[in-house]
Amino acid sequence: MADLALPQTLTLSEDFASALGEPVATLDEVVQQALNSAAHRERWKYTKADRFLAQTSASAKPPQISNENQIGVSWQRQPIAQPMSGLDLQQAPEAFARLCFAGEAMRLDITAPVTEPITLVHSENTLPVMIYVSANASLSLIEIIEGHEEMQQSVWIDIGPNAQVLHSRNALNDTPASWQYLNVRLQDAARYRLNNHALGCGIRRQDLHIIMDGQGAEAKLVSAGMVDNKAALDQQITMEHRQPKGHSEQTIHNIVANGGKCTFNGRIHIHEGASGTDAQLSNKNLGMGDNATINTKPELEIYTDDVSCSHGATVGTLSKEALFYLTSRGIDQTAAQALLSQGFLRQCIDGPLAATALEAMIGPQNTSDEH
Amino acid sequence: MNLLDVSNLHASVATDAGPQPILKGLNLTVKPGEVHAIMGPNGSGKSTLANVLSGRPGYAVDDGEAVLDGRNLLDLEPFERAQIGMFLAFQYPVEIPGVSNMEFLKASIDSLARARGEEQPNTANFMRQVRELAGSLDLDPAFLKRGVNEGFSGGEKKRNEIMQLLLLNPKLALLDETDSGLDIDALKTVADGVNRYRSQSNGVVLITHYQRLLDYIVPDYVHVLSNGQIIESGDKGLALELEAKGYAWLT
Ligand SMILES: Nc1ncnc2c1ncn2[C@@H]1O[C@H](COP(=O)(O)OP(=O)(O)OP(=O)(O)O)[C@@H](O)[C@H]1O
Ligand SMILES: [Mg+2]
Repeated sequence: MADLALPQTLTLSEDFASALGEPVATLDEVVQQALNSAAHRERWKYTKADRFLAQTSASAKPPQISNENQIGVSWQRQPIAQPMSGLDLQQAPEAFARLCFAGEAMRLDITAPVTEPITLVHSENTLPVMIYVSANASLSLIEIIEGHEEMQQSVWIDIGPNAQVLHSRNALNDTPASWQYLNVRLQDAARYRLNNHALGCGIRRQDLHIIMDGQGAEAKLVSAGMVDNKAALDQQITMEHRQPKGHSEQTIHNIVANGGKCTFNGRIHIHEGASGTDAQLSNKNLGMGDNATINTKPELEIYTDDVSCSHGATVGTLSKEALFYLTSRGIDQTAAQALLSQGFLRQCIDGPLAATALEAMIGPQNTSDEH
Repeated sequence: MNLLDVSNLHASVATDAGPQPILKGLNLTVKPGEVHAIMGPNGSGKSTLANVLSGRPGYAVDDGEAVLDGRNLLDLEPFERAQIGMFLAFQYPVEIPGVSNMEFLKASIDSLARARGEEQPNTANFMRQVRELAGSLDLDPAFLKRGVNEGFSGGEKKRNEIMQLLLLNPKLALLDETDSGLDIDALKTVADGVNRYRSQSNGVVLITHYQRLLDYIVPDYVHVLSNGQIIESGDKGLALELEAKGYAWLT
């Protein structure tokens, strides 16, 4: 297999490099090794990494933001001089490379409970975004990925003690290649929830690395994906429990139809000492139509005894019992199949972006849902 | 004209060991306005009869016929059978998370209206009707927003079946052990629902193990199904006799 390589030489300040514990001179080499390590190859087993790597040095603009003029919010462009918490050169060398090539990032500081949701719209390749949420602050963050060019996003969120982030993300655009890298670190008793809705495109890659880095942190991921018409979606999730009494819950439903290809890799890593951890993951895939390809892989690494952990991945088709129940009430086969597959996705569509996601993933919503 | 005519019905269920015959020449005639109770030992084929008539996959009809209101049922898909007026209240109603009860009921009523060339009810009226029906069966209207049968207790599932019966108003209602698992109050509520459904133009086939239900829904005929055939028929008195003596004296 040909070696993976970055499109350019990495440049980085001395300070940044020394904070990473790497001399500038050897950084390129270290990244090169990380790119070609067995673990990294495994994470890019079903999606060719070359195209995404080549794009890491493409020019990038700030995402459009709205509602940033609130008390407790500051938003600015700044050079990247320091590695942020959660930066992991070994695990995410591409995300690291994007940072280095961009040389600057958009920084959002949240220092109080913020009432209005803040929206970031990415309609092209966007600069890395770093979000720092102070202790006891809270934020509702909305992210919309749109536009039809090849694009990449990388977002780092650091959630302070007892702070909370509700994050909703729609990636429903059609582009040849689209990559969303997201890294979230939770400190003591921090809470994070992500409602993710994704449509496949030429190839969509979503990396999510959640680090439970404080006692009693809570993270919840709910994600719905629809991969139709030869589109592709590759989701790679790492849930890392580093501290005791963390609680994580992940529910991911994907429909793969008509030549679509879907890859899901859900890794739960519970470190030594993270006792009292409760980590749950459920990934369900529904194959429909002809030639759907589904790769789903659970990965568990547990180094503590006192944990409760469950990890389930299923690949299936529509329930015959449920189909019969619906058709026995006069609903024809096609309509019954549509109701069931919609229901499968709807279980994972929620939050402020639910209406647009339902519309894009399921079609126009009629009024019988009102009550 | 008869509402339902089942004659010489032979049917088998697909098993790993090949098809296994269950119904072995069953005859049953229901006229408009009649209620027929079917009783019989476990495993005698009662649910199989209901399943074959409603078109559940997994069964093969080997011989005989079944005609509903002049239409040959056995050639039709399950949704077509429902559209010409067949209704099965399931012994084990299915849970469907993600599809709300309201959405399901609307899809159902719209499909039936389309098939019959009738106008689809407007949403507001429809929702009012459903809420009233739910209330009349002691179902909390909040359940309408939940997934179909999702997290319902056994009794709630059965009441939901009866609610659908009243809403869809079919020609023939097959009730498969709708009384089992119900407490005494719920049994009366369900029986009251079935009695409200009854009319001179429709029919009810009631599968049950307990004669108690028949105190509330008084049948015109009681049949005993055993080993795939109806071996005895009578009036309500037969149910009382069965209650006292069991099935052994018949077989
Ligand atoms: N899917 C199946 N696979 C194998 N055997 C089956 C299947 N379905 C039904 N049977 C068998 O067919 C026979 C009749 O079953 P059926 O469910 O019709 O009985 P029943 O009269 O409704 O019983 P009960 O009173 O317990 O509800 C039983 O012996 C049962 O084991
Ligand atoms: Mg039965």
